[in-house]
Amino acid sequence: MSETTPRKTGVGPGRAVANFMARYGLIIALVVMEAGFALIEPLVLSPGNLLNVVQQTSYIAVFATAQMVVILTRGFDLSLGTCVSTVSVAAALVMTGMVAHGQGDMWLVIAMGGLTALGIGLAVGLFNGICISVLRVNAFVTTLGSLNICFGIATTISDGRPVFDVPKEFSTLLYSGTLLGVPAPVVIAIVVLAGIHLMLTWTVFGRSLYLIGGNPRAAALAGLPSRRYLTTAYVVCSVLAAIGALMLTARTGSGEPNLGGNVTLQSIAAAVIGGVSLRGGVGGTYSALLGALFVTALSNCMGLARIDGYIQQIVLGCVIIGAIFVDRLRTGVR
Amino acid sequence: MTSTALDTPPPAPTARRIGTAALGRALRRIGFLPALLTVLILLLVLFEPRFVGMFNIFNVLRNSCALMIVAAGQMLVLVVGGFDLSVGAVIALTSVVTAKVMAVMLEASPDQVPMAIAAGIAAGMACGFVTGLINGACVAFLRISPFMVTLGTSSIATGVALLLTNGIPIYGMPEVFVKDFGRAIWFGLPMPVYVSLAVLLLVWVMQKQTTVGRYIHAIGGNVQAAMVSGVNTNFYLILAYTLCGMLASLTSLLLTARLGSGQATMSGNLMLESIAAAVIAGVSLRGGVGRVEMVALSALFLSILTNAMNLLKINSKIQTIFMGIIVVAAVALDELAKRRNQDARER
Repeated sequence: MSETTPRKTGVGPGRAVANFMARYGLIIALVVMEAGFALIEPLVLSPGNLLNVVQQTSYIAVFATAQMVVILTRGFDLSLGTCVSTVSVAAALVMTGMVAHGQGDMWLVIAMGGLTALGIGLAVGLFNGICISVLRVNAFVTTLGSLNICFGIATTISDGRPVFDVPKEFSTLLYSGTLLGVPAPVVIAIVVLAGIHLMLTWTVFGRSLYLIGGNPRAAALAGLPSRRYLTTAYVVCSVLAAIGALMLTARTGSGEPNLGGNVTLQSIAAAVIGGVSLRGGVGGTYSALLGALFVTALSNCMGLARIDGYIQQIVLGCVIIGAIFVDRLRTGVR
Repeated sequence: MTSTALDTPPPAPTARRIGTAALGRALRRIGFLPALLTVLILLLVLFEPRFVGMFNIFNVLRNSCALMIVAAGQMLVLVVGGFDLSVGAVIALTSVVTAKVMAVMLEASPDQVPMAIAAGIAAGMACGFVTGLINGACVAFLRISPFMVTLGTSSIATGVALLLTNGIPIYGMPEVFVKDFGRAIWFGLPMPVYVSLAVLLLVWVMQKQTTVGRYIHAIGGNVQAAMVSGVNTNFYLILAYTLCGMLASLTSLLLTARLGSGQATMSGNLMLESIAAAVIAGVSLRGGVGRVEMVALSALFLSILTNAMNLLKINSKIQTIFMGIIVVAAVALDELAKRRNQDARER
């Protein structure tokens, strides 16, 4: 404790090391981990497995980016997972319903499924955003509430059962298809992340999110339309969650009412491990991507090394706490 | 507004306004929650004869008592400006460890029943103690956000619980523990009622009458000020988390004794419900504010509401939608009232 509380301004060698570790620690940890597991199980570094890791990362990266956008504003979104479930079930129901009613034009079916998903994302985001920014209900409570609401809707409209027979074309488009040899999920993730990166770095809205999170009072005094921006941030988060939900639905080939089970925690863990600060105002797409890659690689390595799933859960818990501790050091450095 | 409006004096308060103001004042004196609870109970008694059945009332009491104890612990942590997401995992872990220790002890020496029970209870309470201690230490010394710490420990505790059981319930607890403790009726009421009343009383006394309670509230209100005033903030932070963990363990013991088996999936929704109960009771998520008697009422309210929805045969999935809306609405109303008070003071 005595090492972290006093702010040292000197640039001793210890500080320099801490600074370096804070910046590149995660990449080093990633490389060391991959190399270490490769000694136990050479398959870890096989091209097939690495491609697999990249493909799996694309899902978590989208969710972590969604979460990152609201964490930047000092909030978080606990409803992300159940929003994913609701979107998955609703989109699947719309698509299977249209096919069942004799709609032959697959593009129209897929478009309607996509619109349903985006509509639900928009609605959930608006609900969260308005409760938080206008009614000033705490982000935790609001998203806890919408978590329950979305869960109820997802299980009610699906009767708690998976919705099968999602059109093959949908899965081809968003899962098994490729663009110039790159798998579809990876392409989507790249597009989404690039878009969010541009939004955060080049638009007034994006830059404002950092200020709102870093210093809400200053943001209000500077005359930023904080309410509108905050609401928009939650809408962006939920819409990204809806996109991720479509990707997952295409992968499983069915609408699943419990698809989002672990997604909330995974997304928060990935964002925070990547270096997005829960105190707001710190982080970026890069952090979300790196965190997602780390979390995916970790579970991939442990899976290949045949480590018990329950132990994996314990390790993830330890990694989360460790990552926050590093985050503490980092803010101590600055 | 037209320009003529500027010339006219401000309108005198109408009768209706005075009426709502008086009602508002009365509500504020009694409190919104007790009024709501009374209305709910009255409606149920009048329109739903099954509600007052002996069996149903016992059921409601048992459920609300479990929730009350967890929520009281959660409140302590919220008051110091924290959060405890790990209470659900602690409940699961305690249940598994208690059952396992009792079963193993009993198998080793079948005639030492009291020893087995004592060891099981001690081991179970230790789970909550250790988890709370870790949570508190990480928050106090490492200054890690309570949200993330307890998320981490929650993941760890759930992992350990599942590892110990492989997801299969653990049987083989002493018959006495289940029959004469878990499912016991003392003086006409289920045993958990007395335990939860005792816990609530202790927490209330601690909050109102001891310096510990004062310090815990002071830390939640303003850590810097508390520290400067010479309060050992780290100690009281850790104390709050440890108490919360141990209360979660206690709840788990009650539930495990009632079920008669140790289960890694036992916590259900208790973590979310405990936070909901505390928040509906007006415990501020910013710390420093929280009254245990209100938390108890709010836990009772949530349990009765769930029970009412069950009796009305409302689908459990739709119930969760209601729960979500109620939690958000309760906090929104609280926030609105606070802002109106602030406006009134500024005027």
